[in-house]
Amino acid sequence: MNAVEIRDLTVKAGSATLVSDVTLSIESGTWCTIVGPNGAGKTTLVETVAGLRRIAKGSIAISGHSLSSLHERERARLVSLVPQHPEVPSGMTVRDYVSLGRVAYHGLLRAPSAGDRRIVETVLERLSLLEFCDRDVVTLSGGERQRMVLGRALAQSTMVIVLDEPITGLDLRHQMEILELLKTEVQECGLTVVATLHDLTLAGQFADRLVLLDKGNVVLDGPAREVVRSPELSERYGMNLRVVDVDGSDVVVPVRH
Amino acid sequence: MVANPPTRRRVAIVATLTVVGLVVAMVCGMVVGPTSIGTWRVIGDVFSHVGIGRSTLSGLQSTIIWQLRAPRMVLGLLAGAMLSVAGGTYQGVFRNPLADPYLLGVAAGAGLGATFAIVGAGTGVATPTWTPLLAFLGAMVAVSCTWLIGGRGMRSNASTLILAGVAVSAMLTSMQTFLQQQSSSNSIARVYIWLLGSLASANWHSVTMVLPYVALCTLICVASGRALDVMSVGEDESRSLGIRVRQVRFVVIAASSLGTAAIVSAVGLIGFVGIIVPHIVRLLVGTSYRRILPISVAFGAMFLVFADTIARTVMAPSELPLGVVTAVIGAPVFVLILSLRRPIVR
Repeated sequence: MNAVEIRDLTVKAGSATLVSDVTLSIESGTWCTIVGPNGAGKTTLVETVAGLRRIAKGSIAISGHSLSSLHERERARLVSLVPQHPEVPSGMTVRDYVSLGRVAYHGLLRAPSAGDRRIVETVLERLSLLEFCDRDVVTLSGGERQRMVLGRALAQSTMVIVLDEPITGLDLRHQMEILELLKTEVQECGLTVVATLHDLTLAGQFADRLVLLDKGNVVLDGPAREVVRSPELSERYGMNLRVVDVDGSDVVVPVRH
Repeated sequence: MVANPPTRRRVAIVATLTVVGLVVAMVCGMVVGPTSIGTWRVIGDVFSHVGIGRSTLSGLQSTIIWQLRAPRMVLGLLAGAMLSVAGGTYQGVFRNPLADPYLLGVAAGAGLGATFAIVGAGTGVATPTWTPLLAFLGAMVAVSCTWLIGGRGMRSNASTLILAGVAVSAMLTSMQTFLQQQSSSNSIARVYIWLLGSLASANWHSVTMVLPYVALCTLICVASGRALDVMSVGEDESRSLGIRVRQVRFVVIAASSLGTAAIVSAVGLIGFVGIIVPHIVRLLVGTSYRRILPISVAFGAMFLVFADTIARTVMAPSELPLGVVTAVIGAPVFVLILSLRRPIVR
């Protein structure tokens, strides 16, 4: 069974169509990255997969469950979200922040169970957050903060994780660190990743599959290496892109006219 | 540098001291007054009512304690607790440090209702007995209008609701001003006294009238602490975590508004309690609403009973309006809070 099944999806904002007739099937335990120029509809698409946007037409199923028929708590046990600009509330500890990921399990009127706390501790340890788990979240650096937000999503124990530009604002080392952590989750835990990325080089290196979106439509869909090397990419971005092989990895370089 | 969130030990100490302060405030509320009755005799009388020892109070002293001071003190507890927890809840649900229980038009609606009752009664000396009922109805109509106008109920967002509250409040306040302008100077004076808030007319009837509302609404507000903590990450992220944000918002706004309307109908408009108490508690125990809301209940109750004790003793035998005392104490504290650079609401 596919982890994410999108059929003829159309999403609108008022009279404007943001995503139009998109059909995608994403296998379990794979990494699918959505790329495309600004305004292509990438964020709209992943937010709809996360259940945050109203579907105008078509359907989305997560692990076989239709998204529109799920209650919020049921949905939060199937798909988690790392937003592009997460809100970090001052005064909350890192542990409490990561624990928010367990709310879908213990509810709003009960305290986290021993099992919930154990899962949070495991996530904190796996993401190397234990050393500052009692610190105020606003004291963290950008990289630590993004690890913490990822920790909250992993604490939701979902099979599908949706990430909207998860490395925005991070330096190169922290960009790689976050993506490597995700790759480990995909390889070791069978997590399914649906992400948007602007960096085509990193998108090509980490994803199993790339989907090129433009003006709300799927233009290209295939193995990462094929999509990165397609001439369609330059056309859709409206610029000259070259792909250079560096030690077996594709590096996408914009060339000035 | 930002300090780490308060430890559990610190929270326990603050909670304990607040409860001790609350007990002291209750004793002050029963003991302090123009008629001097010894503290231990009053305490002994209280214990005699639960079968421990025997009372040494005269009939008149017992009447002063149980028919004047006790209902006043209990109504003060209820008002302080409700306004504080409602203020804290509003600040959490709207993620706005300036939110208070009157944000969605409760004050303006209750003020219009009370003014209508007082002006409609003509030139009598006493405030009409139906004033609380009309104030309550005015408050509920105002909040309902805000809810319906501010984005058609369940589809609204927090900002739209606040703006709708501002509009409804402005409209109702202008209607109230018009009514006052058309009335006699005697009525204007009585409306003014009501607007400043007072516990002077407290009796067991008013306590039993508001108690069910305050008990239920306080319980709902306190129980919403975990939801408000989750909602501090914003609406979209809360939804992705499994929260039905709009339903939660509806329940906590309804509970806060209903409880506030009940209290305002009984004691008038007491300002500052609902805004400063949650802020003071937040400074002491951190930003988690699971801590802020229950401690605000006790802290607010303590604060208002102390304020009322000051209001009725500083210029005895006449009384200061309670709203004046809470503002005189509250304004400097509020200025102090505003001068702190660190964000105080998440």
